[in-house]
Amino acid sequence: MNEKNNNFVAPKWERQSHWLSRYWSIIADGLGAIGTILIGVLMIIICSDVVMRNLFGSSLPLVSELGALTLVMIVFLQLGTTVRHERLARTELFLPPFTAKFPRAGMFVKAMWDLVGAVLCGFIANSTYKILLKDLKFDNYIGVTGVLTIPTWPFRLMILIGITVAAIQFFIHVITGIKAIFALKEEE
Amino acid sequence: MTGIEIGILAIGILILAISLGMPIGVGMLLVSFGGVMMIRNERVAMSMIGSVANDSLREYLFAVVPLFVLMGLLVTVSGVGKDTFDVFERLMRKLVGGLGVATVFANAVFASITGVSIASATVFSKVAVPEMTRHGYTKRFATGVVAGSSVLGMLIPPSLLMIVYAVLAEESVGRMFLAGVGPGLLLAGLFSLAIIGMAMWRKDFVFEAGDDAAKDVEFEELSGLDIIRKALPIFSLVTLVLGGLYGGFLNPTEAGAVGAAGALVIALLRRSLTLKIFWNLLVESGHITVSVLFLIMAATFFSRMLAMSGLPNMLGEILLGDFLGPYGFLLLFLVIVILLGCLIDSISIMLILLPIALPVAQQAGFDLIWFGVMTVVAVEMGLLTPPFGLSVYTIKAAMNDPDLKVGDIFRGAMPFVLAMVVGLVILAIFPQISIWLARL
Amino acid sequence: EETVDITVASSHPTVIPWIGFIQSHFMPKVDEILAKTGNYKINWQEAFGGQLYKANATLTSVEEGVTDIGWVFSYLEAAKMPLSQVTGFTPFTTTNVPAQLGTLGELYETFPAFKKEWEQYNLVYLGATGSDSYDLYTKKPINDLSDLIGVKLSAPGVLGTWLRGVGATAVDGALPTFYTDIQTGVSDGALSLALGVLPTKIYEVAPYITRVNFGTVFSGGLAINKDTWDSLDTEIQDAMLAAGQYYSDEHAKDMITRHEIFMDKMVELGKDQDVPVTISVMSEEMRQQWIDRLPDLAGEWVAATEARGIPAKAFLKAYMDGLREKGETPLRNWDLN
Ligand code: NA
Ligand code: NA
Repeated sequence: MNEKNNNFVAPKWERQSHWLSRYWSIIADGLGAIGTILIGVLMIIICSDVVMRNLFGSSLPLVSELGALTLVMIVFLQLGTTVRHERLARTELFLPPFTAKFPRAGMFVKAMWDLVGAVLCGFIANSTYKILLKDLKFDNYIGVTGVLTIPTWPFRLMILIGITVAAIQFFIHVITGIKAIFALKEEE
Repeated sequence: MTGIEIGILAIGILILAISLGMPIGVGMLLVSFGGVMMIRNERVAMSMIGSVANDSLREYLFAVVPLFVLMGLLVTVSGVGKDTFDVFERLMRKLVGGLGVATVFANAVFASITGVSIASATVFSKVAVPEMTRHGYTKRFATGVVAGSSVLGMLIPPSLLMIVYAVLAEESVGRMFLAGVGPGLLLAGLFSLAIIGMAMWRKDFVFEAGDDAAKDVEFEELSGLDIIRKALPIFSLVTLVLGGLYGGFLNPTEAGAVGAAGALVIALLRRSLTLKIFWNLLVESGHITVSVLFLIMAATFFSRMLAMSGLPNMLGEILLGDFLGPYGFLLLFLVIVILLGCLIDSISIMLILLPIALPVAQQAGFDLIWFGVMTVVAVEMGLLTPPFGLSVYTIKAAMNDPDLKVGDIFRGAMPFVLAMVVGLVILAIFPQISIWLARL
Repeated sequence: EETVDITVASSHPTVIPWIGFIQSHFMPKVDEILAKTGNYKINWQEAFGGQLYKANATLTSVEEGVTDIGWVFSYLEAAKMPLSQVTGFTPFTTTNVPAQLGTLGELYETFPAFKKEWEQYNLVYLGATGSDSYDLYTKKPINDLSDLIGVKLSAPGVLGTWLRGVGATAVDGALPTFYTDIQTGVSDGALSLALGVLPTKIYEVAPYITRVNFGTVFSGGLAINKDTWDSLDTEIQDAMLAAGQYYSDEHAKDMITRHEIFMDKMVELGKDQDVPVTISVMSEEMRQQWIDRLPDLAGEWVAATEARGIPAKAFLKAYMDGLREKGETPLRNWDLN
């Protein structure tokens, strides 16, 4: 699933590094980098728990709940950069050869799929926003009253930011795709 | 429209959309959202898509995915695969087709510290293929052996596919891991038999000169001490991970974390890691994690939509009735898996088919551990079948040899596909091979 | 006769008694009542066992109409349903499930804040569910309270607080992970209930059962989405309320008998183990010592909940009074501390 050939190369204008696209790449890839660091953090947290338990006989509190939430954050923080680098799994039987033969039609199909991605990620963002509001309204937390509690809203906020960035990234693919179609037309 | 019609329509649209190149996860989200909207209403659909995104991945167990992937990538850069191959080369060199058999067994051992088949394919195409061609084996055969034996990576624990199956079938990950051991060894045995058989009776397929002419090419000498030195890292990692898991010190998530840390220590000791390389490995683990878990999330929504539609129950009644019966269903299912394997990647196949098939398998009274092993073996055949065979493309990319045609690798891997079919038949007749260890 | 489609779902499988009871008691009772006039027939769409949502989304799924009827695991919704947590902070109060659920059922009608706590989530409450009594399941025998010092015990969420004061450490986790946690030494045993221990085979790794009789807890209730509810004729509504009451009562009675049956069953199944299952009953003095050493759990909960503007103090008193009126004698009067 990884090691996918990059059949859809980054559009020209992105490579020409428009100032806006430079800032955007910092946002999308920067969030991804935070997610990447969290993988290392996750490894350290879990290993410390194992060591604590086996050497000192006491578990760290809330490790499993924190680990679960951290993992969700990792996925959503990295979703934008994953979309950006075209790493989502897809079949490559039809679109790449079709695009090679009919470039504009192929790019149009690709742009439509990106639009679907943008809309669905937008839906998730919308729904997550409502969940965030509820988290704030009810002071939602993990853990046990009187022992240790951690509010859930910061995690939810990160998820919301991640999915929003992914939606925008899909949308940028749509725009660049359409732009490229017109650029091709002019070349002809 | 009835729920069942909506369910069928959703599956149809999904198949169409993903064959036209829509990202598979996006396609599953799309038809699930549409399906729920038609069965209930858009408010419920909107609430479910948010709930799926926020709740379905919130499991401690899923943390195992980035950790096992990271471990696999770390051992790949630190040369542990080469050492493993060297040891088996030394042990098997007297055997007919010995280097092929050595590759199979080195893969089986390497499999127990990596959870993804492409890691095995990458490592051994760089390690085993040059050594085999030096000894007069054809490139077609050499790459075929590497491709074929790379499937062991996901059958012998740890295994990303087994984790995904365990999650979907609500089986224990530890048990699914154990279930892969017997079938993994069975396949390794079948592969070795196929190699020895071909080396004896189909010499032109195996050897460049049509004969074992280059058998006198010298092997690198390895002292007993060298063997120990080379076997030590992988031996300690296996002990750490599987020993920790089954010796009763670690749960699967912790085994992943400890394994990744152990692999990091080995990579550091061997000075195979710069900060830049380590960062790239983390980034790569992240990409793999996201593409897998994004699919799992979408598949969760897909299976919830299907449950709402009532389609799986109805399929169960039809497929398990007089028309097909349980074993007819099993055969049909495996054929569909193998056919899909020609087109899409392993995890996507499982995530698309299992929400439909698992309820039916349950109604049929199948042991879900056994059913999972059968599924994983059939799914793994897809790594080797054209036109889309991930292991084959991985090897092509890793070899970077313009003379080596993708078609040659597919031809070289074909005997191993056949061996896997034989393996499937044996596993179907003797469920104990899969179940025995897991149900101990 | 008019047919009405109703989806009924749960996060847990039907082997869990109170989920199975939805299928075996609630649904047939509704059908039975409606059959009397023959005006309506329900076409039940079943989605039990987490087909539609997991344990972490039981409340929102009924609230948002993912299912029409569902079992709400209020026990896991501490932040959203604070008053429903009262039983978790008042151990050693009662093991009489009918009395406990009966009291809560009455409070639902007489204590507006409690009713609001459920109805604000766009749902109508049909019947309550509770657990059987909690006990200790350990690798080593517990002969004296001092045997608990330094022992790590798996305990879900809030129940970890019941170990405060006796020197044992709570290891957080959920029932499905207890077996491996104990086997792998993550913990030395569990604070759990017979109902959960038998099917998950925890007695195999923790064969010493000490009947502490911590008490039972309120776990949640069967509820129906309010939009669905409003769309139903009053005849169906009345049938559902009556069936819900019946479901709740039968389930409460069942919990008591089942607890004893499961205890016997564990002894029988575990008699050939390397260490056979042995049950001992904790003496009254030891229980009293335990209770006396516990900090004011209910008081802490009252303080934290009152701080959010919710009348927890009055609710605690009403709950304890209700139990005392039903003839229960709590070993510690949590409301009088
Ligand atoms: Na493996
Ligand atoms: Na294939």
